Amino acid sequence: MKLRCGFFKFTGCSGCQMEILRLEDELPPLLEMIEIAYWPMVTSKRWEENLDIAFVEGSVSTPREVKEIKEIRKRSRHLVAFGECAITGCIPSIRNFMTQSEAEETVYEHTDWIESIKPSEISEYVRTDISLPGCPPHRNTILEVIKAVALQRKPHLKHHSVCVECKLKDNNCLLTTEKRPCMGPVTNAGCGAICPSLNRECEGCYGPMSAANASSQSQILAEIGLSMDDVKRKFRKYAGTTDEYRKEAA
Amino acid sequence: MKPAKKLMKEELGQFVDHLSKEYLVYGPVARRSDFSFQEIDSAEDLRFDYTTTTIPPKKFFHHRQTLLRYSGEDYSELESTLEKRFLLLGVHSCDLNAILRHDRLFTRQFHDPYYLKLRRNSAIVALICTHIGNSCFCASLGTGPTIREGFDLLLTDLGNEYLIEVGSSEGQRMIEELNLQKANSSDLEKKEERVKLALTQFVKSMKMDGLNQLALKYLDHEVWSLIGEKGGLAGCFACLSCGNCSLVCPTCYCFEVADIPELSLNQGVRIRELDSCQLLEYAEVALGGNFRRDRKARVRQWMTCKFGGAGGGFDSSCVGCGRCINACPSHIDITEVAKSLRGE
Repeated sequence: MKLRCGFFKFTGCSGCQMEILRLEDELPPLLEMIEIAYWPMVTSKRWEENLDIAFVEGSVSTPREVKEIKEIRKRSRHLVAFGECAITGCIPSIRNFMTQSEAEETVYEHTDWIESIKPSEISEYVRTDISLPGCPPHRNTILEVIKAVALQRKPHLKHHSVCVECKLKDNNCLLTTEKRPCMGPVTNAGCGAICPSLNRECEGCYGPMSAANASSQSQILAEIGLSMDDVKRKFRKYAGTTDEYRKEAA
Repeated sequence: MKPAKKLMKEELGQFVDHLSKEYLVYGPVARRSDFSFQEIDSAEDLRFDYTTTTIPPKKFFHHRQTLLRYSGEDYSELESTLEKRFLLLGVHSCDLNAILRHDRLFTRQFHDPYYLKLRRNSAIVALICTHIGNSCFCASLGTGPTIREGFDLLLTDLGNEYLIEVGSSEGQRMIEELNLQKANSSDLEKKEERVKLALTQFVKSMKMDGLNQLALKYLDHEVWSLIGEKGGLAGCFACLSCGNCSLVCPTCYCFEVADIPELSLNQGVRIRELDSCQLLEYAEVALGGNFRRDRKARVRQWMTCKFGGAGGGFDSSCVGCGRCINACPSHIDITEVAKSLRGE
């Protein structure tokens, strides 16, 4: 029996869904395993049957999305918060640090057309079963979730820092040896330390790791010369409204 | 012991080329802002003036390995794909001591075939360390900078030449075909002078004696909440639980094992990779229970292990390489923790 999967997009950039298309070589064997019951990005097929796995990309930022996420929850065995927007609110949540009217007026001429609420993670409205972190999630972690559901075991996802991946790759440390503002020590792993491996600081796009110590990280960033405003921006960028970062992002 | 020899510095390239015939040679090279053990193509890349590398030589023996391939109920152990033996060139005393500790650790009650396979496939040309880093404290632990055992060859930089001492029959074979000058007693004296000079360069020290007992006795000592929660021990910030200290530690050996199935689900590989007691998930058990949920408990565990008070005993204890101090973004310093526990 193939796993019946649905792919939904809320407020986000579609980048997470693109990661699935980018699986390329793995797509044929993957399609032996899953049935695409709903995926507007690739098929005009309407959503009819209940799902084994619902992948929901994006944050909830309209009243219609609130209704929809509740409907998806009701009709899915496993609900996957697919990517950072669905888990933490991610980049759309930057506008939670201004008033709703300020955000609307910055972008739109006629705000009376806008039906928008503050973006939030989907767990604000429904219970989720699996969080698949990343902006976007790494292809291997997407496959791991599907395989884990098929095998009926817990997915083997990393919840520790990006530093672990850097050290396993024997990377030159950007933070301690070059005093560059790397978010690795507080950021969830899973990307394989892509940025530091290419001599770029970790921006924190996988959200806070388990037990992230944002307070120490913010003191370290200040110590290497970042202004308090810049420190704030670092924490706001991907997960400013999470419990872990709220204080440092405010 | 075979008589010591001398290698002129301009002959180093020849020496490396000679070793490369039989071995894959790895040695310290400079990167943007640190040193790392990398495959050596040319002796010019070698940096024998290195203080320490970010990752210790354990990366060659115990980092991330595929253990076996499974298919349905069957499995097969993967054969090593290494065609040549490999040689670590320029290993310092701290790292050599760490390797010797792991040799004991992985042959205690159980012999670890994965570690031993790699270890038996390796040779070591050690180097007396004369460039002491600001975080180094091997001298106070008796793990350097002199080296007495565990090497095939031992090099000492005497200025214009390297003194070569032989530590094994394999080491003897490495230099047999080379027409090297014999070293005389004044060369050996020069070596002692170099070591003496190195000893004057140490900034840090740690008194190891009894620390394992102290750490276990003072489980509620203030130092644990300073490094684990508040910060403030010698100017440190609170621990990040990032795991850097244990990953760069040459004696930390804890690992996790995971199966990675292919999409067919009935076949795949089993891997193991380094884990860290600093990570929240490390002590997690079924249904979300966790023996070390507090950051303080995790950092205390690591320090206690480095003081010889955990399961690995002295085989996983500190060798004074200073890497954890360099790698800690919060500036937590194990030598300061030791002082604090001693009430100094």
